[in-house]
Amino acid sequence: MINFDNSATTYPKPAAVANAARAALLHYGGNPGRGGHTLSLQAAQKVFETREKAARMFKAQTENVVFTPNCTFALNMAIKGVLPQGSHVILSDHEHNAAARPVYALSKTKGVSFSVAQTYPDPKATLESFRKLIRPDTRAIVCTAASNVTGAVMPVKALSDLAKQHHIPLIVDAAQACGVLDLTLDDGMDFLCLSGHKALYGPTGTGLLISNGSYQLDTIIEGGTGATSASLEQTPFLPEKLESGTLNTVGIIALAPGLDFVQKMTPKRIYDHEMSLCKRLEDRLRNDERITLYETDRMRSPVLAFNIRGIHSEEAARLLSRKGFAMRGGIQCAALTHKTLGTLDTGVVRFSPSLFNNFRQTDMLAGAILSLKTP
Amino acid sequence: MNTTLIPMTSITYAMKAKKLLNSRGVYCEIQRTPSGLSSGCGYSIRVKDLSLALSLLEKNNMPHKPLDR
Repeated sequence: MINFDNSATTYPKPAAVANAARAALLHYGGNPGRGGHTLSLQAAQKVFETREKAARMFKAQTENVVFTPNCTFALNMAIKGVLPQGSHVILSDHEHNAAARPVYALSKTKGVSFSVAQTYPDPKATLESFRKLIRPDTRAIVCTAASNVTGAVMPVKALSDLAKQHHIPLIVDAAQACGVLDLTLDDGMDFLCLSGHKALYGPTGTGLLISNGSYQLDTIIEGGTGATSASLEQTPFLPEKLESGTLNTVGIIALAPGLDFVQKMTPKRIYDHEMSLCKRLEDRLRNDERITLYETDRMRSPVLAFNIRGIHSEEAARLLSRKGFAMRGGIQCAALTHKTLGTLDTGVVRFSPSLFNNFRQTDMLAGAILSLKTP
Repeated sequence: MNTTLIPMTSITYAMKAKKLLNSRGVYCEIQRTPSGLSSGCGYSIRVKDLSLALSLLEKNNMPHKPLDR
């Protein structure tokens, strides 16, 4: 099976990630931050090393790197932690449900209202679209750095300037961007929500909520943190404030070599390689009049979304799976994006390569797609 | 030489402090904060050169709890 569904999770992982997970299970069995014995301190040291590595990579203070189970948790914590009752928030028309659903839930439970900003191939037009929606009660902007469906890249830096002008935080969903785009807190966002298991090549069950410390978040989960334990009040400082319960030690330890891998290869080289595969497939598919490609007219992360006339995207993905290719059909948990694309009924097939894919595999896939018979 | 415990706010800051102090050649070890020094679970750093350690922590904006002197 050739995996072209790396936007869901990268596979294969670098060997060092698997080795680190094994080493964690064999040698770092203590619960970090939960005792003074050597086993606990050794596990805590390894967790700290990953935290520091992530802090260096995304230009944050070590204590402002919070480990979460995934990017969805990070987004929920940031969105629900920052929006007060009855406030207003703006999000883009390319959000994943990980960002859109928490906002929608707040509209039901806390009277939060929201506006969806239209986005365009021209970043200036997208910026203007957000600007027009800002109201006196707007308390945050939420935007993906790159769409998980089409790869469309959003003008995060310009949006962070806009947010700063209005003294509101910018929450960025970088699940698909970090690792292929060179994105750090220096780009101005206040909250950077990441997935560890996608383009950072770590294990599933790892996410990161990284902040610049400008805004304090209310908690959505409270519990044991290994600190300030005599009080019923939640621990007030980061990262422990947002890390209740036992951490995913194995995943966090194994994330470190994933971060090393990305830094060694560099996001630019990874982007260039994966984008060249997207272009290759795009070139092969473009001449088939049955095929529709989506949002190839704009700056995007290395993803190609397409449909084959007469074959539903889920069916196309099923047929391609039978030919040995892992592809994602349907709506990729991104209702807003598909509403924007006009593909809520059909979905799209998503091609998302990783650094481990190559031209030969891509050519084989192109052949398989072109050979699918339209009923 | 005598050693002194500096109670830290969390394991993360204890780790951060240890790295900082060790990088400056200051002896430092992490241990659980004894019950008399803290009202809950916590971590301290044990240092030999207290004044140098405190000065480095302050210079690097590293918070710690009050010392039991």
